[in-house]
Amino acid sequence: MLSALDPILAPLTFWLLALAAVVCGGGVLLSRHPLNGAINLIGVMLALAGLYALLGSPFLGVIQVLTYAGAIMMLVVFVIMVLNRARDHEVPSVDWYGLLVLPLPLALAAGVVRVLARTPMAPSPEAVRGEPEAIAAAMFDLAPTAGGWWLLFEVTGVLLLVAAVGAVLLAKRELTSRAEAAAAGGDKEHGHDAH
Amino acid sequence: MMHIDPLDVQILAAVLFALGLGTALARRNLFFVLMGVELMLNAANLSIVGFSRQFPGGAGLHGQIVPLFTIAVAAAEVCVGLAMVICITRVKDTVDGDAFADMKE
Repeated sequence: MLSALDPILAPLTFWLLALAAVVCGGGVLLSRHPLNGAINLIGVMLALAGLYALLGSPFLGVIQVLTYAGAIMMLVVFVIMVLNRARDHEVPSVDWYGLLVLPLPLALAAGVVRVLARTPMAPSPEAVRGEPEAIAAAMFDLAPTAGGWWLLFEVTGVLLLVAAVGAVLLAKRELTSRAEAAAAGGDKEHGHDAH
Repeated sequence: MMHIDPLDVQILAAVLFALGLGTALARRNLFFVLMGVELMLNAANLSIVGFSRQFPGGAGLHGQIVPLFTIAVAAAEVCVGLAMVICITRVKDTVDGDAFADMKE
């Protein structure tokens, strides 16, 4: 559509989104209160969704907004607000021993980037744009030579079910029901069970 | 999309990964540790998507399917991770990660 302007617009959009992602990522690292960090992380995820669309995966960008920025971060923000107490941000923010470990992975990342800089990389002219139809056709291709993503898809369903059940079990106060606890004479929760 | 240098995408992914690693290692608040892990997963996704467009046809599409599974696994991880934070906050009444260093005792 805008092919004449593409050589200017595409890098401009890329660098704007990259700047937004890095600034918000720095905000995650530096913010004091977890809620500020979560809002910054949502900013990173929205910028990354734009980058995915720009890099030719619009379906992945939509999933990123729906699942990551929408569902996952909503859960994080919700739990932060539920557990929010006055001392939430009085926890000392930086673990100085952790900082001692940092230079090593940073040096590793710099080394990886240096190696990548010497590798010839070019976008393929025949790269397929990741439209939902193309992704679905590749993902649910049942042919033995297709990669077997459909099996992984089924297993992911089981994983999510197990995670949901595990989360409920972990976060539940008692593993017995209220009636059973009352029958067992447990008066630990007496104040909460008054009504 | 032909006018973006693939190396720039990888450098951006490396910078985001470093920020996430710094958050996960250096912050003490458990929420920030979880968010650092999320940031690292996102950086890895960006790297995969950046590489995926170097391959023609279906091979490149596979590189766009892998991040979908990463997102699903991240959802499971956040789900269980937050449940654990709730669980241990109930025991010690703090979100300071260092308060839970009592396994050595």
